[in-house]
Amino acid sequence: MLEVSNLTKRFGGVIAVNEVSFEVEKGEIIGLIGPNGAGKSTLVNLISGFYLPDSGKIRFLGEDITKKKMHERAKMGIARTFQNPRLISNMTAIMNVMYAVLGSERGSKLSLVEAYGEAAYYLDIFDMLKKRDVLVADLPIYELRLLELARALALKPKILLIDEAMAGLNPAEAERVSKLINRIREEFDLTIIWIEHVLKIIMRSVERILVMHYGKLIADDTPEKVVRMPEVVEAYIGEEVV
Amino acid sequence: MSILKLEPRRGRMIIHAFGRKYDWIIEPRYWRNPIIGVITLLALPLLMYFFATGVFGIRPVALLSALIFANILAMIGTPLVLQIIGTGRVSFGPHFFVAVGGYTAALLSKNYGFSPALTLPASFFMGALIGLGLSPITIISRGIYFVLITLLLPFILWELTYWRSDVFGAETGIPGVPLLIFTGDVVLDIMIYYYVSIAMVLILLFFTDRVMRSRYGFMMGVINEDEEVALSYGIDVAKIKVITFTLTSGAIAVAGWFLAHYQGSFTGPVWLQPSFLILILLTTTLGGKGAVYGVIASAYFIATLREVTRTQFGEMSVVVLFIILLILLYILPEGFWGLYRKRRYREYVPSIRIRRA
Ligand SMILES: Nc1ncnc2c1ncn2[C@@H]1O[C@H](COP(=O)(O)OP(=O)(O)OP(=O)(O)O)[C@@H](O)[C@H]1O
Ligand SMILES: [Mg+2]
Repeated sequence: MLEVSNLTKRFGGVIAVNEVSFEVEKGEIIGLIGPNGAGKSTLVNLISGFYLPDSGKIRFLGEDITKKKMHERAKMGIARTFQNPRLISNMTAIMNVMYAVLGSERGSKLSLVEAYGEAAYYLDIFDMLKKRDVLVADLPIYELRLLELARALALKPKILLIDEAMAGLNPAEAERVSKLINRIREEFDLTIIWIEHVLKIIMRSVERILVMHYGKLIADDTPEKVVRMPEVVEAYIGEEVV
Repeated sequence: MSILKLEPRRGRMIIHAFGRKYDWIIEPRYWRNPIIGVITLLALPLLMYFFATGVFGIRPVALLSALIFANILAMIGTPLVLQIIGTGRVSFGPHFFVAVGGYTAALLSKNYGFSPALTLPASFFMGALIGLGLSPITIISRGIYFVLITLLLPFILWELTYWRSDVFGAETGIPGVPLLIFTGDVVLDIMIYYYVSIAMVLILLFFTDRVMRSRYGFMMGVINEDEEVALSYGIDVAKIKVITFTLTSGAIAVAGWFLAHYQGSFTGPVWLQPSFLILILLTTTLGGKGAVYGVIASAYFIATLREVTRTQFGEMSVVVLFIILLILLYILPEGFWGLYRKRRYREYVPSIRIRRA
């Protein structure tokens, strides 16, 4: 479904993503881990079209999308969340879901009122309906994370790129978010790439893990195997996981 | 148990009557704005007539001209607000498009004998065409670059009117443009001009309001707030910007058409002046960010204030006018609309409520 080959992105002297290649099958849920600055967010930004790569190719649903614009990729079904919630703080919660509804492929035929109704549905999935008229600027981080997910889901994605859904949350909240992600994955038949720092939870949810280190992909295997690879333990995972 | 029971809630009214329950959503913004606004606009000349002529000793004709000027400011300010929202940028060249419309109307009627009915669409299309040609600047430039580019346009046209004064007539302008209204009675004429201009404002307002309440208006609001978020969620930002810039440029040019046929001539250097730009920008800013109704209020306020200062302060009038406006900008950071709305967020969509009765 998604095929990334030899993807490279430089920022000045820093090679944020270095010759990364991997494939994602439909329905997979993949964890992407790595220390700070490993290039995880940059990889998400390359797939979603936020940045264009210096070299390499991205194919999605059999089509080369390397040069496609960000909004076209979104319409094709690539949705992402932002590591630092990036919502429109001047707008209410439901408005922030509405524009994703309007921007989705089938959304081009919806009126504003219809979009409102659909946005309410997505908010309800995350138990945020009662907060629909609250300004985003007044929401706590937990609800911002939920809103990020609701907005991404409103795009009716085929693949969902989650750039940290649990950072800044307490363990109970993180647990709830993790359950929600598993639930929407089943209900909406999603393919997910999930970046996270809270390893214990993500290890339980995913079937496959990619490990990045200094821009390079250093491992791609099942969670059980990944935590035993010496280079992974050395590069990233401390004692806390195993 | 009583037959009728009213249960007022915040934003809704639940009525229990004859054993049934009715759930009414109270949404005042839907009806209050347009009706009260239109009535005020139509009654304003009368109110102003007593106030301005009684208190400040302004002559009725001068007052009516001031109100026509208010309508011209509103004709420019209304599409400009749409443009600012839909492109996420403040253009410093709206008066350029006013001049484009004015010259189109004046040149076509003088050289080819076009009637006002023909120069109207011609002005709109000329403005839209030039807007379309320039629209890439809303995509490739931002911040100070966009300001400079848009600020340069009127200066270039200004120079052009002197360089080709055989065509544009420099500061003498192009005389002999057919008048829109001519009855022979000056006061009657000016009254009719007032109502023609206000009709134009109301038509513009109607369209702008429709756009703002549509899916496009909402997406324009998203672009105004965060282009990258808009792109990330499937909104074709470039397309919306180009369409917005093109159509609003055409609409602004129509104000130039009115000026030409109202004054019977068009003199670019008068309207290409920075002071006119400042009045336009003050109108949109004092109106309130992203608010269409506020623009009309501030256009009327500024035009009347200008007339009052002119009669009261003589030579000092311009200084006084700008100082008052400066103070208002300082104490009303959200503009007139913010006073009315008293909410922190900009309302790109009417508050629609879900009924869960
Ligand atoms: N826009 C940018 N401009 C310059 N350098 C950047 C930019 N974005 C990322 N980088 C650099 O690229 C490298 C990878 O950053 P990235 O944000 O992808 O890491 P990450 O794995 O997401 O880290 P974290 O776990 O902290 O989120 C870092 O060295 C970072 O400084
Ligand atoms: Mg990151």
